[in-house]
Amino acid sequence: MATLELDSITKTFQDGDEEIVAVDDVSLSIDDGEFLVVVGPSGCGKSTTLRMVAGLETITSGTLSIDNRVVNHVKSQDRDIAMVFQSYALYPHMSVRQNMSFGLEESTDLPDDEINRMVSETGEMLGISDLLDRKPSDLSGGQQQRVALGRAIVRDPEVFLMDEPLSNLDAKLRAEMRTELQRLQNDLGVTTVYVTHDQTEAMTMGDRIAILDGGELQQIASPLKCYHEPANQFVASFLGEPSMNFFDVALDGDRLVGDVFEYPIDDEVRADLGEATDLVLGIRPEAIKLVESKSDAHEFEMTVDVVEPMGDENTVYLHFDPDADPESAETLVATIDGFTRVSEGDSVVARIPQDAIHIFDGLTGEALHNRSMEDAADQVDLA
Amino acid sequence: MLDFYRRLYRTIRPSSGDGDEVRADGGVVSDGPATGPPTEPDRDATARLKAALDRRFGSDFMESSIFWLPPFLLMGLFVYGAVIWNLLISLTDYQRFENAPDYSDLDFEMYTRALADSGFIDAAVNTLILLIAFTAGTLAVGLVLAILIDRGIRFENSFRTIYLLPMSLSFVVTAQFWLWIYNYNNGIANSVIGTFGLGPVSWLGNQDIVLYAVIFALMWQFSGYAMVVYLAGLRAIPREHYEAAKVDGASTLKMYWRVIIPQLKGATISAAVVLMVFGMKAFDFLYSLSGGYRPPNGADILATKMVREAYANLNWAYGSAIAIVLFGMALSVIGPYLVYEYRRDNL
Amino acid sequence: MSDSEPRTDGGATTIGRLRRNLDRMTVEGAGLYVVLVFAAAFYLVPIESGLVTSFKTGTAIIQTAPFAPPGPSGLTFEKWQTAIDTLLRGMGNSLLYAVPATVISAFVGSITAYGLTIPTWKKSYKAVVLMLIIAGIFIPYQAVLVPLTQFWSQWAQLDQVLSFVWALGIDDDYVGIVELVITHVAYGIPICTLLFRTYYKTMSDEMIESARLDGATLRRVYRRIVLPLSGPMFAVVLIYQFTQIWNDLLFTLVIVSTESSPAAPVVLILAGLGSSLEGQDFALRMAGAFFAALPTLAVYIFFGEEFAEGVAA
Repeated sequence: MATLELDSITKTFQDGDEEIVAVDDVSLSIDDGEFLVVVGPSGCGKSTTLRMVAGLETITSGTLSIDNRVVNHVKSQDRDIAMVFQSYALYPHMSVRQNMSFGLEESTDLPDDEINRMVSETGEMLGISDLLDRKPSDLSGGQQQRVALGRAIVRDPEVFLMDEPLSNLDAKLRAEMRTELQRLQNDLGVTTVYVTHDQTEAMTMGDRIAILDGGELQQIASPLKCYHEPANQFVASFLGEPSMNFFDVALDGDRLVGDVFEYPIDDEVRADLGEATDLVLGIRPEAIKLVESKSDAHEFEMTVDVVEPMGDENTVYLHFDPDADPESAETLVATIDGFTRVSEGDSVVARIPQDAIHIFDGLTGEALHNRSMEDAADQVDLA
Repeated sequence: MLDFYRRLYRTIRPSSGDGDEVRADGGVVSDGPATGPPTEPDRDATARLKAALDRRFGSDFMESSIFWLPPFLLMGLFVYGAVIWNLLISLTDYQRFENAPDYSDLDFEMYTRALADSGFIDAAVNTLILLIAFTAGTLAVGLVLAILIDRGIRFENSFRTIYLLPMSLSFVVTAQFWLWIYNYNNGIANSVIGTFGLGPVSWLGNQDIVLYAVIFALMWQFSGYAMVVYLAGLRAIPREHYEAAKVDGASTLKMYWRVIIPQLKGATISAAVVLMVFGMKAFDFLYSLSGGYRPPNGADILATKMVREAYANLNWAYGSAIAIVLFGMALSVIGPYLVYEYRRDNL
Repeated sequence: MSDSEPRTDGGATTIGRLRRNLDRMTVEGAGLYVVLVFAAAFYLVPIESGLVTSFKTGTAIIQTAPFAPPGPSGLTFEKWQTAIDTLLRGMGNSLLYAVPATVISAFVGSITAYGLTIPTWKKSYKAVVLMLIIAGIFIPYQAVLVPLTQFWSQWAQLDQVLSFVWALGIDDDYVGIVELVITHVAYGIPICTLLFRTYYKTMSDEMIESARLDGATLRRVYRRIVLPLSGPMFAVVLIYQFTQIWNDLLFTLVIVSTESSPAAPVVLILAGLGSSLEGQDFALRMAGAFFAALPTLAVYIFFGEEFAEGVAA
């Protein structure tokens, strides 16, 4: 068990004459026993970052330390880490037991019976005891996944690295394994870095999440903080499904003026904005309420364009202008209770509550005003 | 040895100022000098050198060199060392029963001698004819066979096995077969053309025909190879291309000509290179055909002439010079090919 | 094929159209098979004619067609008997260098390919090493013959190093066999490396990385992961190399040089078989050719797939 520290880690690749920056000046520090999820769209540098931690890629600049020991030039096999790969990377010619023993045989001097005992114990913990003598090709995807996990766990490493380990499983199995992985990590208490592109995994599994885009670290914080207090527009749009609504607006006195609507703000919000005038107004779909009739300036008369029933809730696409071309008109997406009846063409009134809005700098994307997390999550314990 | 490394290290040092954080690695140090017991600073120096080399060449460079470097050196010695040595010998006057070439007097005499030797010119021309006709003919036959076999026929494996069978035989063996086929009195070749009222022809005795008779025999032996390469190329083309061409109304012939064959460029290039090299090595066949260094009149190529000059006439230096010409021909084929493969990231 | 028919030919009924297509298919299909069978005959006739000729008496050779089997009166096994008597020692000699050279070059090729494929080091430097190795496949051996002769006869005094072997009563011509093994290994490294490399390139990177993270050194990764998974490629390389080494004449010619040597390989003896001042004894030549080709023919018949894979790479 160990702490992990990335200090200004940068990775550049040479592609012909071009230099491609895959990871740009990323600094992270991960506590002993922490579960950190690194998330971002494909090509954001998250896997490269993980591979640098594993020693599978060289580090162009910056320092990487495990337990305060600089390991930039330490080879993978001497870093005492275990990694679970997306493809599981099981050794096809070895039985499950041999797969799991391999790491202990190579990295320790333990006697065979001790290794056997540890493998059996780990197998029991993961519920794969009866598979130990089979070959990987005889196993289902879920079972292979467990073996891959077992192979990492049995080594009892300082750090676990996981590169999209669940993405080859079907949806149901993935949900199960998500819970199980969390339980295991809790029990074992091993520092874990988990890379995924799946925001559900990011939101549900990690103690903290680190969001990467274009090789740069956008935000590192608890999942709820990232969700409710995003550092910038990218984080706000990346987390949440459907994605947050954004409108380009200009500040005019105490009003935000958009193409088709105006939104008054009070002094408290106004104070957060400073000198910026080109702004982006953001509002999460679930924060929007449909009300009976328009009674204040934060409510707008709108037309329903499309309704997507999801069962427990409906996703509703609204237009400000009933006559506008639905292709180009500004759309507001709202998620509302599944029992609320709306249908295409209905006129409704949507409320955009001021305590739920986010305002971003239109040029830098930086968040100037976020909703307060205490308000947003009144019943959630924010340890 | 150790001194060499220390000097090397000193020259490398300034460019790798951060060498201090490198731990003294206990791993595989394949360059470990074995001269005397290493003192502490020495070991440190080698560790640093290893780290510096690794940083220059990539993280596994030193650890992996134990795998590829010794075989590479052995191969390099026998191939490139020998070619360079051969070049040197070709510049001497080494001949007869002299024990070793005299390297003190180097000149291009052997090359000027070659240019004046009509036998050499004939052999060079024959080599070019053989290379071009053999390669083109073999590719064409191989392509046709591959297309036919790829039409989803039954017994595909049996046909393929039969077509490739001659390739598994030694030149020495196939030469015996063809000697018999080309036999003037009882050979198949003459009995076949005899049924059309032609011949008989002295296939191996007529100077104008013998080279083409040899080329035909070589095509028989290697068109199966071209077929296998083309078949792999055809299999790599997605089925949709055939279907799309058919939906567009192209006739079968047009479909192959316009859609399929252009996609076989890669297969054609690699097969052509390999065939040309086989063609240059046709020595074994010609030697066995005549049972000696002197191939049938009119079928002398550089490969046979080189061996004959060196090993029968003991004109070692002259043989070496011919070998260098042959090597140059091979290089002019392989060089562009390797660059092509490298560009395609195919090495 | 039916897709190329225009859909709008109103005249014909669907069934009529189907039948016409079917007819055309069979005619075309039959034509296809006729061509394929003719081609097969073209490839087989030289071999078949050699085989029947090897069983013919001198008179039968003149009297029967070259590809027809000998009649009962023209049948003889005498030529095979002679061929076997003459070539048997050569077979033994050939095996003596072909087998070790095949095994060693395959193993060395595997190691070289591993070192140049799996470990990570700069691609541009790797490419240089690879180019030099691959170019080695295509070098005409004539370009190294004279130095090779010099090397074995003047520089490497192998026959003196091995003098203890000759003391055991083995003919010192057998130094040629040792030289052939080393020569074939050295010149076999490029093709073996290339074959193994194409195979190793398809191995899962993640699996290798996983093994290295598990604490295995490169040597252990080879020993425990890569080598056990190389089985299929070893089959291909062993078969290809064996065929090449067994069939090669040039090196045996310059290293062993005379067919009368006790260490003469089979190809060397065969090349001079059946030609004498009185003319050529074709039946004997054919019998000898078949006998010498038996090992490679057997390999080809039992491992045709692997052979095809080897030559196609």
